[in-house]
Amino acid sequence: MANGKKMSRYKRKRIIELVLVYAVLLLFVLISVYPIVRVLSISLRPGDRLLSTSLAIIPANATWDNFVELFTKRPFLHWMWNSFVITTAVTVLGVALASTAGYAMSRFRFVGKKALMISILTTQMFPATMLLLPMYIIISKMHLLNTYGGLIVIYSATALPFCVWTMKGYYDTIPYSLEEAAMIDGCSPWAAFTRVVLPLATPALAITGLFSFMSSWSEYLVAAQVLRDPKMYTLPLGLKEFEQSMSTEWGLYASGALVIAIPVIALYLMVNKYLVGGLTLGGVKE
Amino acid sequence: MRRFWGTLLLLLMLAGMAQAADPVEITLWHQLNYAERQALADQLAQFKKMYPWIEVTSIYRETEQLRAGFQNSALGGSGPELIHGPSDQIGPFGTMEIILPLEDIFTQEEQDRLDPQALVWYQGHLYQIADRLGNHLCLIYNKEFVPIPPETSGEMIRIGQENTVDIDGDGKIDRFGLVWNFTEPYYFAPFLSGFGGWMLDENAVPTLNTQANINALRFVQDLRDKYKITAANSDYELAHNLFLEGKAAMTINGDWSFGAYEESNIDFGVTRIPKIDQTGLWPGPIVSPRGFSVNVNIDPEKLEPTISLLRFLLSDDAQRTMAAQTGIIPSSKDLRDDPVVTESPVMRGSLYQLEVAKPMPIVPELRAIWDSMRPHYQSLLGGAIGPEEAARRMQEDSVRKIKEMNEITPPSPYVPVLYAVFAGLLIYGFWKTRRSFVDLGRDMRKRPFVYSMLLPAFIVIAAVVFYPFLYNIVLSLSNMGLRNFRNWEVVGFQNYGKVFLEPSFYTVLLKTIIWTVVNVFFHVTLGVMLALLLNRALPGRGAIRMLLILPWAVPQYITALTWRGMFNQEYGAINLIISNYLHMPIVNWLGSPTEAFIACILTNIWLGFPFMMIVALGGLQSIPTQLYEAADIDGASSWAKLKNITIPMLKPVMAPAIVLGMVWTFNNLNVIWLVSNAGEPADKTHILVSFVYKSAFNLYRYGYAAAMSMVIFLILLTFSLIYMRRTKATEAVY
Repeated sequence: MANGKKMSRYKRKRIIELVLVYAVLLLFVLISVYPIVRVLSISLRPGDRLLSTSLAIIPANATWDNFVELFTKRPFLHWMWNSFVITTAVTVLGVALASTAGYAMSRFRFVGKKALMISILTTQMFPATMLLLPMYIIISKMHLLNTYGGLIVIYSATALPFCVWTMKGYYDTIPYSLEEAAMIDGCSPWAAFTRVVLPLATPALAITGLFSFMSSWSEYLVAAQVLRDPKMYTLPLGLKEFEQSMSTEWGLYASGALVIAIPVIALYLMVNKYLVGGLTLGGVKE
Repeated sequence: MRRFWGTLLLLLMLAGMAQAADPVEITLWHQLNYAERQALADQLAQFKKMYPWIEVTSIYRETEQLRAGFQNSALGGSGPELIHGPSDQIGPFGTMEIILPLEDIFTQEEQDRLDPQALVWYQGHLYQIADRLGNHLCLIYNKEFVPIPPETSGEMIRIGQENTVDIDGDGKIDRFGLVWNFTEPYYFAPFLSGFGGWMLDENAVPTLNTQANINALRFVQDLRDKYKITAANSDYELAHNLFLEGKAAMTINGDWSFGAYEESNIDFGVTRIPKIDQTGLWPGPIVSPRGFSVNVNIDPEKLEPTISLLRFLLSDDAQRTMAAQTGIIPSSKDLRDDPVVTESPVMRGSLYQLEVAKPMPIVPELRAIWDSMRPHYQSLLGGAIGPEEAARRMQEDSVRKIKEMNEITPPSPYVPVLYAVFAGLLIYGFWKTRRSFVDLGRDMRKRPFVYSMLLPAFIVIAAVVFYPFLYNIVLSLSNMGLRNFRNWEVVGFQNYGKVFLEPSFYTVLLKTIIWTVVNVFFHVTLGVMLALLLNRALPGRGAIRMLLILPWAVPQYITALTWRGMFNQEYGAINLIISNYLHMPIVNWLGSPTEAFIACILTNIWLGFPFMMIVALGGLQSIPTQLYEAADIDGASSWAKLKNITIPMLKPVMAPAIVLGMVWTFNNLNVIWLVSNAGEPADKTHILVSFVYKSAFNLYRYGYAAAMSMVIFLILLTFSLIYMRRTKATEAVY
């Protein structure tokens, strides 16, 4: 009798908890999604109108024209291709360099380690506006103007500080005893790194990958300095073409913006399983 | 006249063909809008038929990027051969000597063919030749509500009042008599001349504090407050959209907007802004020639083909193509009688306004004047000050800014000492650390594995980031400015002095700190909270997670502007929700400084929490579940588990995101710029980096901007070091 009562009280508490959780999540989903829905309205609305006095999501005279024009009359797919090439390279490079450099920073003591950490961080602290002119000068001196290579190098450089540090932080939570055990069993340091540590660090690799991807997929300022030929434009540069002081083509811009978000979301869905999953670090007693 | 030009063109063609037919590449940069670009493409196709060996690449840049990009390229010794832009760029370009004088290349006859305003002279040289005149504001009226346009200001007020109506009786105005972007000085300038005043005299000295100007300020204020014919706060997009929806009887807009109005189903007319009753003068909007200039760095062999291209684009045929497709007034005098102009009512109206328009001043001082007018003008509109005070402050500010822009700081006497000290420090530094270099060499030989993992990343960062950084340090000690653009020199620490003596520096610094702390606090709290909620097995969590990262995935530019739209006082979604669903009073989000700041913060929080959520989710994976199980066995509460397990173990993974998040937010100009429309109201919504941006881009005070950047950097560095030491964020958890 007493048992039954206790159980239902516990269950009730669980249900209330669940309802609250969903309520909070739903609220945030609404907050996140509403402005995006308004961007959709802009893309469906004829006439390049950024604002509207009506709150209707599907505007009067809604039309897919903007999306059609985006793909047929503007080189949007071309821009997308350029962006894909550059961003894939940056992501691969970023993840590769950060996973190794972060490991070194986590595991090894070496001369100037603290200084290197601080200096990696300080590269981020400068306002970008002031870096544009000297960046342009050094890019043209190194003959990297208007090349994919130049852009890839610069993007990797700017994404690295965060990526290296995140990887290091994550490696720091993996006890060194795991590698020790592997090396006792005969692994080389490199094999211990790739076979034991790296698989455990997949969440951090996912974060690093997403960050590198985004930092190059949506970057405008540096791309505008480096890429001069419209045939090489990336998506942000292409989207900027719709932007004209006072006569921005909002319909195209909005539809472009929504399409641009799709690969980002696709990538997120792909790496999602690494961001969750509750790995149990069994195997070594602390 | 036309036959003469036709034959000349033919002769040029033959002459061109007779010469060496090596392929030549010419690049043209421009800021033409979409319709104009179509016309240009047609013109260039025509040109290609005539000169098949000349390959012309045209590249679009948005106006401000065009100016900055061209300056950067020219300074670097390269850049496009031709640039097409508005005439106000000529002042700075001419002062910096990055464009070519054209008076010896084009004959007097060629020049006389065009409207005198199309020939842009500066300091004795012909720097720009325009193929189109425009950018002037006209009165645009919806014929359904205003069948006959007003000719005087009194009529305009009367028609405005008749048309400001609440149709459905819900207490909200459904149609306004007149809406226009009246909070922007450019859209206010016509009324200055309408009352007999103006912004500057022929010596580029500001003349903002005159009775005529004060009357003009009062007039615009009255249109809103006394006669109530215009909306409370209206920016460009709002006015434009209201007119397109038929919710405004009249608007004031420029020729770039005619295309949008033509495509809509509004039956509209274009005419002059009405004559001011008190003075009998027609308001004169600013008209800007837009045309071609030649890069001073041009390869001498490319000069002739470039001039051929120029001559072609300036010819009547090319201009006619342009006018027919865009509705913009061509610069050729002959074409004024051409059917392409006379048979278009829109162009006739535009020409009618052009007759009383005032030419755009091209002196670099103008930028200082706009920057000075804007905050005080908006303070006036916000009700903080009266017209006399506004005019007085505008004048004071512009005089000061012009002085700052034009000053040439001479090198201090201690500069050689500076060099000596720097060299000394460098030598001392190397001497002191020579042991570490030896150790480093030894270590590198002993453990190549470690260094081979580090070196690639380090080299890349060094090349691309350290060089600009060092460049900035040197710039901050220099006098690089408008007058010293190419021949600047190191002068000492004066710029730093100016940074710290600037009174608004400290208030803006405080604001920036508040901005940073509030934003990052909410980013992290919301991110971690959502990650915790989503870390448990919940049906539908995949979909929820995906929807929650949308703010991060969709490009910031348009979402920030959408938020700006949602914060609009009368039509924005936020106020509508507040008043209809929460039954609370509406907030004037964008019209008052504190609320505008809050609006920017809210938008930035929305933009930033998804990424923190992703990092937190990843970080949660590094916490072994055994720890939670052990805590459960010990009977720990959820709160205790959070405090003693989750948070400490999240720290190493979240630390980079938090510290870098603070750094990025501190320097994040974009969101504030977009949501507050570059600092409105009254230049009160600013953080430190916007100062850097405005000083560098608008006033050309590069040395000063570099110094301020260094100060920002040092502030962030100090803070980060302190933060990391206190939270031991760089050390391992175990």
